[in-house]
Amino acid sequence: MISFSRTMLVGAEFPGEDLVRFHGMLEDRIYAMEIIMEVRLSDGVVQAIQGRMKRFTTPVCPKAVEPLQAAVGMSLKEPGWISKLNREVGRRGCQHFAEILVECGRCLEAAGMAHELLAKAKETPDADCGSLIQAFLSAHPEMAGKCMARTQEA
Amino acid sequence: MILSFLRNKVVDVKQERDGCLKVFWRLTDTFLDASLEIEVKPPDLEITAASGRVLRSPHKQCGSAPQLLSRVLGVRVGPGLRKITEGLMGGPAGCPELAEGVLECCNAVILHFTVPQLQATEKGTQEEKKERFRAMLRFNPRLLRSCVAFAEDSPLVDGLL
Repeated sequence: MISFSRTMLVGAEFPGEDLVRFHGMLEDRIYAMEIIMEVRLSDGVVQAIQGRMKRFTTPVCPKAVEPLQAAVGMSLKEPGWISKLNREVGRRGCQHFAEILVECGRCLEAAGMAHELLAKAKETPDADCGSLIQAFLSAHPEMAGKCMARTQEA
Repeated sequence: MILSFLRNKVVDVKQERDGCLKVFWRLTDTFLDASLEIEVKPPDLEITAASGRVLRSPHKQCGSAPQLLSRVLGVRVGPGLRKITEGLMGGPAGCPELAEGVLECCNAVILHFTVPQLQATEKGTQEEKKERFRAMLRFNPRLLRSCVAFAEDSPLVDGLL
């Protein structure tokens, strides 16, 4: 029997060409919470955030919704952004909220890539997905060198 | 509005008859499908087995990333885990996604042990519940200042510092 289980879900929609809206959700045996966060794609700066605690452990936990606002103005592309979020949102508020924000931040690049590829696929419906991805990666050298695959490709 | 990107991460912990914990992790998103399984042996919480697969990825080199998992064998779930795991598996020569997967598995192991402690705090009067939280903090002082509930000015911490 499973003694502990956690699901984390991140969805990204694009209400504007340079604006991504993340829907982040965490649900496990202990906690349930969600956020909606708007981020400027070009520089990764958080524009707005809302959070909701649905299931938590102590009567103090709901106070962690307010410190979420510390994320507004932070860039999810700046060096050290994860530590900064963990400090400002996690330690001052709730670590699990911070985990959702960090996961959204980790999805920023991929969400931008998906958005651009969807647009390209509309323009060139006959192109295969693999070649579109490769063309995208060649056109974005800033994505190179972040892991073994990207380092080898670079 | 239709989503452009979706990521789903799941982690499950299962306790075996011999006390070992098996942890299953899977990430699926628009581009990536990766999974891993680790085994953690109490009481030291040492990682005794680790394996994984990358089923789908935009980079063909990702298929060899699970080989990195053998590097975490012998690592213990405890202080310094993030630095150790990222050093062994992350960075430009590693796979940050799988390194994060290992860390999420280890976090799930900690939460597996936390569930019964928290269940105990759900019973009794407000004062009894508060006292159980305080006992938990005394037992695990690393929780102090870790979040708003365990901050210096929290009523749960009052008098403990």
